[in-house]
Amino acid sequence: MIVNAARRLNRAAGMIAGSVLIDSAMEHHRGYFHNKLMWTPIATSSLSIAASFHGHTDRRHGAHRVRDVIYALAGVTGIVGTAFHLYNVTKKVGGWSWQNLFYSAPIGAPAAMSLCGLMGFLAERVRDNEPGSKPTIAGVNAGRVVAALTGASLLGTTAEAGLLHFRGAFHNPAMALPVTMPPIAAGLLAVAAVGRARVPRPASRKWLAATAAMGVAGVAFHAYGVSRGMGGWRNWRQNAFAGPPLPAPPAFTGLALAGLAALALLAAYPDE
Amino acid sequence: MSDRSRYPGYDVLAKRETPSWDEPTRRAIDKRLHVSTAARFLTAAEWAGADALCRRILPQDEEGETVPLAALLDAKLFADHGDGFREADMPYMREAWRAGLAALEAEAKARYDGHSFAAISIDDQDSLIAMMQKGLLSAAHWPGLDAQRFFERRVLVDVPALYYGHPKAWSEIGFGGPASPRGYVRLEGDRRDPWEAAEAVSGQEEAARRLNQHVV
Repeated sequence: MIVNAARRLNRAAGMIAGSVLIDSAMEHHRGYFHNKLMWTPIATSSLSIAASFHGHTDRRHGAHRVRDVIYALAGVTGIVGTAFHLYNVTKKVGGWSWQNLFYSAPIGAPAAMSLCGLMGFLAERVRDNEPGSKPTIAGVNAGRVVAALTGASLLGTTAEAGLLHFRGAFHNPAMALPVTMPPIAAGLLAVAAVGRARVPRPASRKWLAATAAMGVAGVAFHAYGVSRGMGGWRNWRQNAFAGPPLPAPPAFTGLALAGLAALALLAAYPDE
Repeated sequence: MSDRSRYPGYDVLAKRETPSWDEPTRRAIDKRLHVSTAARFLTAAEWAGADALCRRILPQDEEGETVPLAALLDAKLFADHGDGFREADMPYMREAWRAGLAALEAEAKARYDGHSFAAISIDDQDSLIAMMQKGLLSAAHWPGLDAQRFFERRVLVDVPALYYGHPKAWSEIGFGGPASPRGYVRLEGDRRDPWEAAEAVSGQEEAARRLNQHVV
């Protein structure tokens, strides 16, 4: 069970890494890799996908050193990337303004890389527990730690979707879903993180599953958005880049999967 | 396109069948490319005067492809799509051009032994145009129209607009034509979408020429 929970977290990290890889590849291609450092997320997210796949196939106990290094790299890349994107915003004419927040390098995007690293880190920490023991992270019940951090991560990703969907004036009612469903999921995870462990929480599980499905449906919604651009998909070289980002929504799926793993851990290893 | 071009090898019409343009775009541009060379509004004499005037306002390299400015002016006047406004001291577009061309013709005949504007030397044409610009022409030949105002408000507005509305001029200045249906993605300065003209850097014209072979 410990290894299975860790593998679920590996898959969550891999899901987010896939989203980051395609998103950063498209957006940085759009920016012509003007700064050579723009290749960094391509490299770290590719490595994270490989590490996550490796973790998914690995059924042994114990943290894996190379996976740990890769996930740490992803976490650092996300933080450095956020700093770079902040700098990009401030050096634009007008500095800190809504205009530049909307149209400069997206501040929240590199953070997804860090979330991938965080989920991977949690995966390795869960896996590092002795077989048959009650898994802990830094002495705290692992399920509670994963639930709390995943909930906080969902709020961060919601902020990014909220900023960009606000830019899009929520012109399609479905655009309200990623700013309403994930915060509720985050709330449910927060309740689980501090609440009683032994309860099954079927409603929370269903809600997280729905949030995961929303991340997948988001790709379809964004594809529809691209088709609505002038020239539609035939004009994909403009619309896929200037329109809604196709690979962004599955970040929610990755986090929701991690939340489900947290609930499973809490149910299997109650600390009461 | 001459080798001195800043956009060597760029032809905006290469975008015709790409996703950049659609049927309405092609129709609009085809209309400008296939403008009637037979006068429909101007008389033959007015056409000759307008042609000579346009050649002095926007001299073109007569060796290569030229923008048929007189034909485009005739088409514009024939269609009579005005500016949507008229300044109080100016006649309507059609009357202004007709009166202005007649006045230039009368000025030329009065000053150059009865020769029409199109027949006098380029230098003489230029000095007449300069006098028109400075308001030095006799009011007698300009009933109901101020020569200087005609130059400023019609000649300097209409002739460049006709020139730069033509795809040949777009290729020359690296303009992509209508951004319809496809617009642009890379909007920052000095960032180029693959369907934009590539500007030559001095000494690296071949690199721009290669890019301009594939502006799709």
